[in-house]
Amino acid sequence: MFLRLLSDGRWWTASSRWRNMASSRNSATIATEPHLISLPAQAQVVVCGGGIMGTSVAYHLAKLGWKDIVLLEQGRLAAGTTRFCAGIVSTARHVSIELKMADYSSKLYQQLEQETGIKTGVQIHDRTSISHVLVQKGHVTGVETDRGQIQCEYFVNCAGQWAYELGLSSEEPVSIPLHACEHFYLLTHPLKKPLESSTPTIVDLDGRIYIRNWQGGILSGGFEKNPKPIFTEGRNQLEIQNLHEDWDHFEPLLSALLRRMPGLEALEIMQLVNCPESFTPDMRCIMGESPTVQGYFVLAGMNSAGISYGGGAGKYLAEWMVNGYPSENVWPLDLKRFGALQSSRTFLRHRVMEVMPLICDLKVPRWDFQTGRQLRTSPLYDRLDAQGARWMEKHGFERPKYFVPPGKDLLALDQSKTFYKPDWFDIVGSEVKCSKEAVCVIDMSSFTKFEISSTGGQALEVLQYLFSNDLDVPVGHIVHTGMLNEKGGYENDCSIVRLNKRSFFMISPTDQQVHCWTWLKKHMPSDSNLLLEDVTWKYTALNLIGPRAVDVLSELSYVPMTPEHFPSLFCKEMSVGYANGIRVMSMTHTGEPGFMLYIPIEYALHVYNEVMSVGQKYGIRNAGYYALRSLRIEKFFAFWGQDLDAFTTPMECGREFRVKLEKGTDFIGRDALMQQKQNGVYKRFTMFILEDHDTDLDLWPWWGEPIYRNGCYVGKTTSSAYSYTLERHVCLGFVQNFDKKTGEGLVVTPDFINRGEYEIDIAGQRFQAKAKLYPFSSLFTQRRRKDEMELSSYQGK
Amino acid sequence: MCVCPGPRRIAIPVRSSRLPLFSDAMPAPTHLFPLIRNCEIGRLSSAVCYCHHKHLCCLSPPHFAHNHLRYAPQKKFATLHRPKENFNQFIHARSYVSTPQKFYLTPPQVNSILKANEYSFKVPEFDGKNVSSILGFDSNQLPANAPIEDRRSAATCLQTRGMLLGVFDGHAGCACAQAVSERLFYYIAVSLLPHETLLEIENAVESGRALLPILQWHKHPNDYFSKEASKLYFNSLRTYWQELIDLNTGETIDVKEALINAFKRLDNDISLEAQVGDPNSFLNYLVLRVAFSGATACVAHVDGVDLHIANTGDSRAMLGVQEEDGSWSALNLSYDHNAQNEREIERIKSEHPKAEEKSLVKQDRLLGLLMPFRAFGDVKFKWSIDLQKRVIESGPDQLNDNEYTKFIPPNYHTPPYLTAEPEVIHHKLRPQDKFLVLATDGLWETMHRQDVVRIVGEYLTGVHHQQPIAVGGYKVTLGQMHCLLTERRTRISSVFEDQNAATHLIRHAVGNNEFGTVDHERLSKMLSLPEELARMYRDDITIIVVQFNSHVVGACQNEEL
Repeated sequence: MFLRLLSDGRWWTASSRWRNMASSRNSATIATEPHLISLPAQAQVVVCGGGIMGTSVAYHLAKLGWKDIVLLEQGRLAAGTTRFCAGIVSTARHVSIELKMADYSSKLYQQLEQETGIKTGVQIHDRTSISHVLVQKGHVTGVETDRGQIQCEYFVNCAGQWAYELGLSSEEPVSIPLHACEHFYLLTHPLKKPLESSTPTIVDLDGRIYIRNWQGGILSGGFEKNPKPIFTEGRNQLEIQNLHEDWDHFEPLLSALLRRMPGLEALEIMQLVNCPESFTPDMRCIMGESPTVQGYFVLAGMNSAGISYGGGAGKYLAEWMVNGYPSENVWPLDLKRFGALQSSRTFLRHRVMEVMPLICDLKVPRWDFQTGRQLRTSPLYDRLDAQGARWMEKHGFERPKYFVPPGKDLLALDQSKTFYKPDWFDIVGSEVKCSKEAVCVIDMSSFTKFEISSTGGQALEVLQYLFSNDLDVPVGHIVHTGMLNEKGGYENDCSIVRLNKRSFFMISPTDQQVHCWTWLKKHMPSDSNLLLEDVTWKYTALNLIGPRAVDVLSELSYVPMTPEHFPSLFCKEMSVGYANGIRVMSMTHTGEPGFMLYIPIEYALHVYNEVMSVGQKYGIRNAGYYALRSLRIEKFFAFWGQDLDAFTTPMECGREFRVKLEKGTDFIGRDALMQQKQNGVYKRFTMFILEDHDTDLDLWPWWGEPIYRNGCYVGKTTSSAYSYTLERHVCLGFVQNFDKKTGEGLVVTPDFINRGEYEIDIAGQRFQAKAKLYPFSSLFTQRRRKDEMELSSYQGK
Repeated sequence: MCVCPGPRRIAIPVRSSRLPLFSDAMPAPTHLFPLIRNCEIGRLSSAVCYCHHKHLCCLSPPHFAHNHLRYAPQKKFATLHRPKENFNQFIHARSYVSTPQKFYLTPPQVNSILKANEYSFKVPEFDGKNVSSILGFDSNQLPANAPIEDRRSAATCLQTRGMLLGVFDGHAGCACAQAVSERLFYYIAVSLLPHETLLEIENAVESGRALLPILQWHKHPNDYFSKEASKLYFNSLRTYWQELIDLNTGETIDVKEALINAFKRLDNDISLEAQVGDPNSFLNYLVLRVAFSGATACVAHVDGVDLHIANTGDSRAMLGVQEEDGSWSALNLSYDHNAQNEREIERIKSEHPKAEEKSLVKQDRLLGLLMPFRAFGDVKFKWSIDLQKRVIESGPDQLNDNEYTKFIPPNYHTPPYLTAEPEVIHHKLRPQDKFLVLATDGLWETMHRQDVVRIVGEYLTGVHHQQPIAVGGYKVTLGQMHCLLTERRTRISSVFEDQNAATHLIRHAVGNNEFGTVDHERLSKMLSLPEELARMYRDDITIIVVQFNSHVVGACQNEEL
């Protein structure tokens, strides 16, 4: 455990200075005058919430040069969770962006003492509550408070556990999925010999508790297994009054404390504090701009790590507002990873009861939440479930992981948690084998599907501008392309089918539903002749993978499906069984031969039944996403959200061939890519094959393992899988080139990659790895089309 | 083997306890624990025989049958009615024949018996807002008779607001209780329907369109409905609503009146169906069995803060009230209709000539026979002698051969002696009214109402409402607090064994020792009694515990103010 805990004894003093600092302009007013000063009529930014998040955002906005900021707090400054929080700054986090935020925060807090007294330009008004946010034409125009209106351009919702409600009370509701749980910690009188302020903070994860010095006594709280969600119905006077100490509920944590430190038995109790904390559906905080209201920003849902994240989160959000995008990839925290579907109060109540205990649990790989499930399902769900499907969830959609054959039992949920070889190993192996030798069917209906059409050439025009590849292809062609930002980074990675001259069908990852929609809407001209439609729910997608897929389909359609008649990356609308109008696409997202079938949902069961019955003689079977993952990783296919993000360009992941710099029109990110082409890249997506790793006995790589080149750290893996074909583990990750003296990033050339000895560090043990910039061509069996030919010719150089 | 009728609610002559009246077409409960049955049965029965001989109540069946009038109201039976005493004798007796081996049911076995009939219903939450004043209910049954003669029902009214819950205690078989449990709520729901809805329903039936659903039932899989009789029952119900349509008074519907009308109407229909008969011989026999057996009913109608209890017989409705100091008190919402209720005795006396005064209630039973003073069915206590004879003669052979049906109660001069008319009590729910217990007398005769309410109250609130601890200004160390908390936890841990309040109550009712705590040994013995003997130590127990939503009740109250 490389647990680095920072017991910040100075935090309590720091926090009071923080307050002085942030309110420097009128600190005197707050401290002495009982009268409220009148609100300004307008401001550039209104921040709601005077807790650590609100003040941090205001501070960083001011630092970035914005002068006209008003911060509103309904009670007193730093009076909510921030006031009652246990004040622990910990930088041990398991999501890397969270780690960066926490690291920045802890450094910031140490600096703050020197920084106090700087003029910031932030006006603070406490005892002012916002009733709702005014919106016009999808843009924030002001806020309505109990003390009058303020016109503003930007609004920041840092209302902590009230953020959900405040979001809903906007004229255009903004869904911010978080829910409060009661949280208890104990304060004691000082020890006989009072604890020194240098006493380290202790976190006992097995006991689910934390302990730190508090005025010579201790402060100890924890995250119980049976949390008490609160305020489900919103701000509820009855519940607020009942926020009493609940000793019976605290009993397991007290037992854990006395088990760890029996000597504390004689310590006298001062108080048991009940301070609700807010939690999010995936245990990651929420930041970013609302997908529905421009200028409406959110920073909330800290999962009880507000103090740790406060500094960093505030900085990123301020950068986001000022520069349009933060300086780090914050997608894991982006509000747009959620949709309205995660906003049900019942869902949130149930989910946070599962999330809160997880804070102290070991985070095992491939963990699936158990609550709030079966929300979005394919019409085939029951059929697949009856055949042994085990499910995982993405963006509320149930997706099969693998199929447990009849008569075979997997371990119970609790026993299946492992960092070693998992119990599904052989099951997935046989699914992979079947898709290599016969044919498998995977239900991939969760993909986000949009249709863009226009009366004239507008659709093509806008897509050419938004996507890096050339979309002016013959009707029926499929184009893999990135949707890039100004810096050339991937905002989305998708496949686009040209259905006819004027309309396109776009397939994106499941969790792109909100983000991609928002991006397209933001960049599309408001032309009534240009139509964007979300058709995700209209189609069931079946992926037929394997060499015999061709036989199954031709038997069902009486149409020859061989590569001569149906080349790779091609789409045809045809009949399958009795059902007409099925979009059949010759791609499988894995590099294996086969077809994706996009089926209007009412035909889904029919087509599935037909495929399964005809496929029987070809050895067809169901498969799940784990098999898909193994197949795509051994082929070096990168997936957006896992390997690719807004800070990765096509040049950095060997996808130059999917960029047409000279397609005749400009596109977003072109300049950045041009420059990168000239200057070279600073990181390079690389595939590693573990050499001396024992699959049965060694810990498995999952993701996030450090990569060493000639003994030096050069980057981290982003995804990994066991390749049943190579009988080796394959890790994908980015290699950087740090200057030995300055630590500065240098250009990474193919040569740099190829001329190195690599090791992957799995939990402290290093394994030799072979680096490759291109996949094993022997794994491809099918004849390739043009762009893949390009790939192999590039490889030849 | 030695058999005796035990404390049946109706003291009637029988030849064998295995054929009490009619053999009801219900599957016998499966024999749960063959081990116990094989090994212990001899010892158990010999022990029980011993106790019987002591009480001189083990009579030869033919003798018994011929002398029912003298022997039926045996006082000795009454002692058997108190299981505790009885049980001690049983244990005492057992020591004479005891062998060193002990056969107890394991806790999981006990649980599987106790939980076999448990059912819970939670009123669905919509978006976090609970609009019903009911949070949900738990119900359960523990049979003593084989087959069980108790029934229960619960349903949500779909065309009006509110929810109906009821327990039904059958006697002389389960046919009447079964019929009432299927039919009564429809009669109540129809009585509550506004004129327009009745017309709509009638028009739908007339034109063969789909009917508006009237009730949404909440049933345990073991709670069955008779398929064969549904058409017959439906026609009677339809006649009722047609009459309601014709009667249209235009007045707003009073729940109390609706409940009384529904009870009386259903009893009337049961009586009429038996008189008219049915061409189908199975149905003909069924309607006669329904009419000749009997059932009490205790029904709750909950709509917002309005709680109505309609009671006929000696089942009971008890409200659990939490006082400000957190303690529990019981509020009776029904009166027992039996010999312990002086008003009932007065009522019956006032309805019959003075000459009959002495013979009306004997040995605490109506006409010396029937324990409840009001009931559905039981046409033996309602029809004239002529009518009874006529129906029995024209009825099927099974009926004719039956000793009980042929027998006319003694001193039977001015029928009817029995009515199904309920007493209705209206109660406005208050936030302190936390739950309602509806239970058949099987529960109330083993437990005091105060204990019932306390046990349910503590169960439902769990530890959270156990007097919360506050440190206040006291000096308390972590160690002291820890001891206190651990002790509190062990005290309540037994509560969490049950997920169902009714099951929890049954566990206490059957297993409580003299200290008021569940004694596993005792529980195990009571539950492993062979079905022939179980009835002597306990009655069928049926319980519904309805939990109220204090938030909603409080809010409704404020609205009304």
